Formats: sequence, structure tokens, C-alpha cells
Amino acid sequence: MSLWLCLRFDQLPLQCLDRDERQPVVVLAAQRVICANDCASALGIQPGMASATVRALAADEPVRLLERDEQAEQSCMHQLCSWAYGITPSLCTWQEHCLQLEVGGCLSLFRGLQPLLAEITRGVSSKGFSMLQGLAPTPKAAWLLSFADKDSALAIDQALEERLAPLPLDHLAPVAQGIDSLRRAGLYTLGDVLALPPASLSRRCGKAFTDFLQQLLGQRDDLQVSFTPPASFTDAVWFGYEVKTCDELLPTVQQLLQSLCHFLRNTQLRTNEITWQLVGVDHTLLDLRVRSASSHSDWENWYQLSCIHFARLQLTNGVEGLNLECQDLQLGQQESIDLFSPRSQREPLAALLDRLRNRLGLQAIETVDCRDEHLPEFSVQVGNELTGSRSGPRNRSVQRPFWLMPQPVPLRQQGENLYWNGVLTLHYGPERIEDNWWRQAVSRDYYIAADAAGQQYWLFRDRLERRWYIHGVFA
Amino acid sequence: MNEMLEQVIKRNDTWRGRRDYFRAGGASANSNLHGAQGLPTGYSTLDAELRQRGWPTDGMVELLSDGCGMGAMGVFLPAMEQLSEQARWQTFIAPPYIPYAPLLAARGIDTGQILMVHPRSREDLLWATEQALRSTTCSAVFSWLGAQEYRYSELRRLQLAAADSDSLAVLFRPNQIQDHHTPASLRLQMCEYRKVRILKQRGGQQVIDVTLPPEEDSPQQPQLWELPQNPGAGQPAGAAEYRA
Repeated sequence: MSLWLCLRFDQLPLQCLDRDERQPVVVLAAQRVICANDCASALGIQPGMASATVRALAADEPVRLLERDEQAEQSCMHQLCSWAYGITPSLCTWQEHCLQLEVGGCLSLFRGLQPLLAEITRGVSSKGFSMLQGLAPTPKAAWLLSFADKDSALAIDQALEERLAPLPLDHLAPVAQGIDSLRRAGLYTLGDVLALPPASLSRRCGKAFTDFLQQLLGQRDDLQVSFTPPASFTDAVWFGYEVKTCDELLPTVQQLLQSLCHFLRNTQLRTNEITWQLVGVDHTLLDLRVRSASSHSDWENWYQLSCIHFARLQLTNGVEGLNLECQDLQLGQQESIDLFSPRSQREPLAALLDRLRNRLGLQAIETVDCRDEHLPEFSVQVGNELTGSRSGPRNRSVQRPFWLMPQPVPLRQQGENLYWNGVLTLHYGPERIEDNWWRQAVSRDYYIAADAAGQQYWLFRDRLERRWYIHGVFA
Repeated sequence: MNEMLEQVIKRNDTWRGRRDYFRAGGASANSNLHGAQGLPTGYSTLDAELRQRGWPTDGMVELLSDGCGMGAMGVFLPAMEQLSEQARWQTFIAPPYIPYAPLLAARGIDTGQILMVHPRSREDLLWATEQALRSTTCSAVFSWLGAQEYRYSELRRLQLAAADSDSLAVLFRPNQIQDHHTPASLRLQMCEYRKVRILKQRGGQQVIDVTLPPEEDSPQQPQLWELPQNPGAGQPAGAAEYRA
């Protein structure tokens, strides 16, 4: 059996703009009130009033009049859709500010209706929205029942007709025509209409109205275009007060990352870059970009990486909101660690790399690699890119030092002696290395030398320049 | 015995210098001093003197040397070769130079596992070392602390991180800090090539000189220690002529 839950965000025009509860706030569209907060309602301000009436009612009290921002409403609805996609895959928006969720298919996932409703209530209130709920076998009935009182709105075990009967017909006005003629005929509630024979109702109000009623009662299919998740992720938390230290942000960071990873898991996507946006009290924006070497959807990993960035952040002024954005999403494979490994490795190898790179910078981490080159400095390749595992040539059995200097360093030569932290004596050599004749010819004689303490070095004499250099250390 | 004293002695990080204490059966069968198996060093003489018969992987190793190491890395090459099987990182934190990759490859060490980290400050160095130790993704962590001063508490953090992990943790420090206290479970000094002195060893013998036997070097592999027999040893042929 399909079961639809309608979430009606009646205060959305207000809540997407301002959540101040200390002073009256009113949202106007075309000089008419469409939404008012509790303080304003207490003054007697109601939707539909003209702005002049609002001013008259408020008298001395300062009332904030806000213009309706439909774009902000849409982006809020979008966020709510993304969030609700984690609860059920079949959902759609309906009318103004309503979400229709098909929850019949996910009852066993949430272990019953009550835990599901609790989860939804918790999710919505954590986002700072207020909502009204309606629960019914059809989406339209669920929507209508969201206007009913709280007891009957969720009373799924009662007969649908009985629950709909007391609802006034006025609610149908946005979706059905011919309500006025019914009202003139003395019909005021849905119960009155449902009691009439459908054939005569169809003659009086047209086929569209009877179709609507059939969809309402589930006698006719009601197909809606289902929501498809967006190609990028954005979510925001609005504190409503000033946050002065980064530590206070961390619980919110955690919460947003959980919602991101929830989204990533639902859409089977991965990401390797997220962007934090801190909204200051003075409306300044501060962007923090966090990158990872491998794309993944593990929120704890992202939390650790974000913490590295937040720990270094110096907040100059208070933060009022936190946005999380993630533009680049890819399909990815989950990297897993060897389950049967006898060692205690608990995270993928790239995790360490990410943490080091995020704090020390990309350039601070290097890997080494062998190259099949004759000149020592070319046979070692140092890079920032991660390379796979490999084994190099294993047949060399000549004397090579453990440490190679990035560049040969010229040695000080005085008379017959060479100096490098003291006088050096040559012990072994020469070994001639000549190469690179096609570009800049190199001809060197390599020697092993030791200083007074016995430390051995790898030196060479450049035969063309006639100078001595140190190139490595035996350690 | 005094109860508090007993508690202190039971702690794993309390260093008790007397070897015979353990030989007398002081450690019970389930204590963590019992049966801990170290990572073979690749040198029988060194294994014989180390309490765990190898490098301790439940604590950090401090290696003191002068100048450029005096063969300090050579002591760990056999261990690095063994650890390469684990396919985890072998992290070099603040290394003095670049490890010569063909040499590592010739010794059977997977160069793809070598991760070089270049921290810019002392704090970053300690942080990176601790991260590497705590991350469980490193089979070995080599950290060059340099000649700077470190507080005991800072080093102890590293020791605790090393004790929790199963990686080989090695700190390279200069000879002049020899008199400073250390929380490390093993402190060695490189006196010269092929000669290691055990300065401190938790629960084992100390101040002993160990010579690494030449016959245990793997044949047909580049060696770091001895100079091969060279016809022109001493004064290389032709060197004087070049200098002229």
C-alpha cells in the first residue's frame, strides 16, 4: 500500500529570509501580507492584510517588512528535497512549499511509522523550518490533511473519507475550479461534496473536478514527476546568533558533513573536494576549500580534514551561518582496506596523505621513484604525485650512497685538499660516469671519500669543468 | 612492596634498568612485557642484545649520531626490506637529503611506499610525526628531529603514539642530546660504520657495543659499509694528476 506524507512548510517565505523571533517580521508580496511570525500574529497581523493595515496595527512597535524572495524559497525547497531524498526515493514538490514523500516503501527501513516521523521532525527542525504534516494513501489527500488538526492529520487508521469530511472546501481553491458555485449551492466542507453522486457533481463542476476527487480518494492514478537529485550538493546551517570561535562551529561541521555523506551515499557518488563558506555577521563570506587525494564519501575522514583547516582559521568577526558546497561529484569505487590483514591498519593509505597535505601543503609531500638513467641525479625522480608500487632493477652491485643531494654541491679546494665539514681523504675510485652527450655532455669521476670522523661521502670530479663536487652521503 | 610503587612499576612506560629483574620471572605470563616479538634487525649480533630480539614496534627508537648519520640508515635497511611486504607507507619526515631510489630498489624496497614529508616548522614536524604514527597506515616512520631542543612532554607524546601503533618508529637526533632524558624505549648511538652502541633499553641490557657482522650483509647487493678492494685504495690512481 502506498502511503504519502505531505510536509507543508507554511512559514517558508518567512523562514528562508529571517528567523528573528524577538520582533515582528512580516513578508509581503504585492503589498499584501503572505506570512507573519509569531510576534506579528500576536499584534493581530494576518495573511492577506495590506501593508498599511500592518503599520496601523503595529502602531509604535517596529515591524520589519520584508519583500518576498521566491528564489530563496526555491533554494530552500531544493535543500529540503535533497535531504528528503535520503528518506525516500520517490518524492515531489507540490503546490507552494509542500513536499510529498512516498513513505509506504521505507517503513521497514525505519522500523515503523513513528520512528520515521520522529526522524523527519528532527531533520526539519534542525534545519530551522516549521512544518505541518499530513498522512494519507494518496498525495492529494495527504496535502489536504496537512490543513486538518494534528490528531486527524496523522490518523492513518481511520477511514480517509471521515478524515477529509470536516475540511473546508476553501483549501481546494488553488487546485480546482468551481468551488464558488459549490459554495453558492450551500456546500462548505469536503464531506458535503463527497456525499453527492459523482455524475451530478461532474455536470455541475466539470470533469476536472471529479477527476481531482477521484485522485484524492485513490480511485484514479495520480502520477507525479519524481524528484531527481542534483548534480551538486549544497547545504547550510543558519545559527541565528553569533559564533565567535571555531570550536563552536565543529558540531555543525560534523552535522553538515553527515548530511553530505548521506547525500553521497544515497546517490552513490564520491567527491574529492568540498568547500566551506562561513557567513559573517556583517555578511562577509569566507571560503575554505578542503581537498582529498582520493574521492570518498566517508564523513569522518572529511571531518578530520576540515578540522585541520578550521584549527588554523582565525575568526576576525563572528559567524552567523555555515554553508557546505560540493560541486564536483564523481562515480567512484570505495577503497577498502584488507579485511584479513594481520596488521592493525584501520584506514586507507591515502588518508594519511590527505591529512599531511591539508596542513603542510601539496608541495611538502614527495614520493621517490627510479628512472632508468645513467646519471645519478636523473635516476631518482622526486614528485608530488602518488605513484603505484613497483620494484626497480635489482641487478646493480656497485657502491652507491643512501642519500643523494638534490644538486651536486661544489667542494672547497685548498691546495691538495678538499673540504666538506673538514678535510676529506679519497678512499676509493674512480668510477667514471659519462652521459648526456646529446644535450650537455657530462663526464665525471666518482670517488668515495671520508672525513676525519670516518663519515663517508660520494664525490665526483667534473672532468670538463675540472672542479670537485659532493653528490651523496653514505649513511 | 609499596602499593603506589608497584603501580608505577606495572606501567609499560616505566623503565627498569635491571635485567635480572625480568630473568627472575618478574613478568607474569599475561603482562605485555612477555613474549613481545620485535622486528628482526637483520643482524644476529644486534638481535641478540635487544630485549625483543629485534626492533621494538611498540615504542620508539632513538638513534643518535653525528653529522650525516654514520651508517644510521644502513642499520634499518634490512628492516625496511621486510616492511616493504606490508605495502604500507615508509615515511621519511624531514629527511636531510633524497634517498637514492635505485639503491632502495636494489635492496628490494618498494620505492612507491616511500613518502617524504618536509615540514616547515618544529610544530609541523612533531605533528606530522605523530600523525604518521597514529594513522595505522605506516609500516615505518623515520623522523629527523634535528639539533633543536624538544621538551620531554613532546617526545613523550610521540612515544605514546608509537606505543599504540605497530609501526617501526625511529627518531634521528644528534649526539649532543645524549645526556637528556628520553621517553624512547630504545636509544642507540652510531659510533662508526658497523658499530652500534645501545645506550638505553627498556628492560634490557644497556651501554653495550654491538658490531654488525660483515658476513651477514646480503651478497650481490650494494653495501654501505666497507670499501671494496680497490687496486688504487688509499690514494686513487690518477687523483693527484687531476688535482694538479
